[in-house]
Amino acid sequence: MPALPLDQLQVTHKDQKTGRLRTAPALHPGQKADRRFVLYKPPPKDNSPALVEEYLERATFVTTDLDWLLALPHDKFWCQVIFDETLQKCLDSYLRYAPRKFDEWVAPSPEVADMQRRLHRSVFLTFLRMSTHKESKDHFFSPSAFGEILYNNFLFDIPKILDLCVLFGKGNSLLLQKMIGNIFTQQPSYYDDLDNAMPTILQGFSHILQHCGLQGDGASATPQKLEEPGRLTPSHMPLLELKDIILYLCDTCTTLWAFLEIFPQACQTFQKHDFCCRLASFYETAVPELESAIRKRQLEDSRLLGDLWRRLSHSRKKLLDIFHIILYHICLLPILESGCNGVQGFVEEFLQVFSPLLQEKRFLRDYDALFPVADDVSLLQQASSSLDEMRAAYILQAVESSWEGVDRRKALQATAPP
Amino acid sequence: MALPRLTGALRSFSNVSKQDNYNEEVADLQVKRSKFYEQTVGLDLPWMKIVAFLNEKLEKNEMQSVNEDLKDILQAAKQIVGADSGSEAIESAAAFLFKTFHSKDCVGHQETKAIRQMFGPFPSSSASAACDATHRIASHFHPDSLTALVQTTKEESGDDRVLFGKNLVFSFDMHDLDHFDELPVNGEPQKTISLDY
Repeated sequence: MPALPLDQLQVTHKDQKTGRLRTAPALHPGQKADRRFVLYKPPPKDNSPALVEEYLERATFVTTDLDWLLALPHDKFWCQVIFDETLQKCLDSYLRYAPRKFDEWVAPSPEVADMQRRLHRSVFLTFLRMSTHKESKDHFFSPSAFGEILYNNFLFDIPKILDLCVLFGKGNSLLLQKMIGNIFTQQPSYYDDLDNAMPTILQGFSHILQHCGLQGDGASATPQKLEEPGRLTPSHMPLLELKDIILYLCDTCTTLWAFLEIFPQACQTFQKHDFCCRLASFYETAVPELESAIRKRQLEDSRLLGDLWRRLSHSRKKLLDIFHIILYHICLLPILESGCNGVQGFVEEFLQVFSPLLQEKRFLRDYDALFPVADDVSLLQQASSSLDEMRAAYILQAVESSWEGVDRRKALQATAPP
Repeated sequence: MALPRLTGALRSFSNVSKQDNYNEEVADLQVKRSKFYEQTVGLDLPWMKIVAFLNEKLEKNEMQSVNEDLKDILQAAKQIVGADSGSEAIESAAAFLFKTFHSKDCVGHQETKAIRQMFGPFPSSSASAACDATHRIASHFHPDSLTALVQTTKEESGDDRVLFGKNLVFSFDMHDLDHFDELPVNGEPQKTISLDY
């Protein structure tokens, strides 16, 4: 007899009180074990023995419990995942607080580093199992029920998916691509959620501009009132405030980039919100100001300033990479894949992405240094006989003029990765 | 303080994730310790089994001194779990101490950690007393026979389960800062000046 999907499976068990046999769905809160997972907390920054000991105790509980969970049979695993809130919070707390490699943190002791590695693996395996709807030929879900279970119980959500990409995307990209691809395929509502999250993501960039007194949107276009305290620019704000802004920018850029690298199918959703244009505009406004703010502070903590400069350089590169990933997947890849047939829409999209950016000289120059725009325009010319040559020429001209007064060779050296 | 993160902002300000309240989890470690203790008591080596084993394997004259050692272990366990605890809790703790020290001659870092994880803070003199008493008992036996006693309960508790993804190749590589521009000084990148002439 063919096996039934877990979501339709009924199990018979003996009632502890009455001793009678009862039939109930295999996925039932009664099947959950009382395990009580603890929250994850990151390793202490100062390596003090008491805090290290508390970290190790907590982390040992988490790894032991996750290993126990991973060893459970398919039905028991899913009952625990769906009905145990302490497990969901434990996993969420790891994604929230696990140190990223690019975070500023003190090198941990070997014991802490070893524990962190054990945890990292166990958490990944748990999410891997949670994103697999067919574990074996006898243990599986019906795809639609799987999508509903993931979504309705918040087992995955957009922040968690972004965290997974930044934490595991480098070393485990192939598996993660399959996991995230499967989640979005089985539950397309995640595309709606991503769409709903976009304003908050864009708001993050606006907040940085606001904090720096550089808000370009309508919100602060009002004149400053006389009694209002002066808006702080990056050059005048306290160093620690500048540090917070750059750390936030660094995290935002790396997280978005890691997500798009793993799941480029999200590019359309990003561009629905005119993401490329907003990104370029943000870059043009914020990057030179932040660079100048760091350069001017020569009398302050030089080690911190050096670190902030590295983070800002990294963020710049990631912003340009994000722009390129989106452009590549919404215009260039479809053109490359479809040859000369039906490319007009993608060619037009390319021109529309670039046309509003012609004044963003710093952005155009830095982007061109990494991803030569002339190469892309040449691709367009080869693919489309009806390319609007005038608009293409405007774009190339704007890129060329963005280099005026700049030593192209030096700039290329500075922008290229080591 | 938590680092500023994009996903933190998304959790707080967008409506795409569950709004979890973590405040109730403040004492989760204490609750977990007692939960862990309960679970371990159910699975672990029972005190009565240790006593029965010793009675079976040792001569009567040896048992007189061993009984004193067993009392010492129970006394140490009582000090560690608290005098108010019931006899069942004290015997479980004593069995745990016996298991922890059966192949040790002093209280090391690992043992301290294991006891602290099980019971929380404890008087170190009690651990030393339990360790010494267990060591005296163990001196009557070949090391393998006590290890075999402890091992049987491990097997009964089912430590040989198969973990999902056990053989999966996992990489610990993580995204790092990938661009290493030096902070320019007077418009030029800093150069390392060697003083080694």
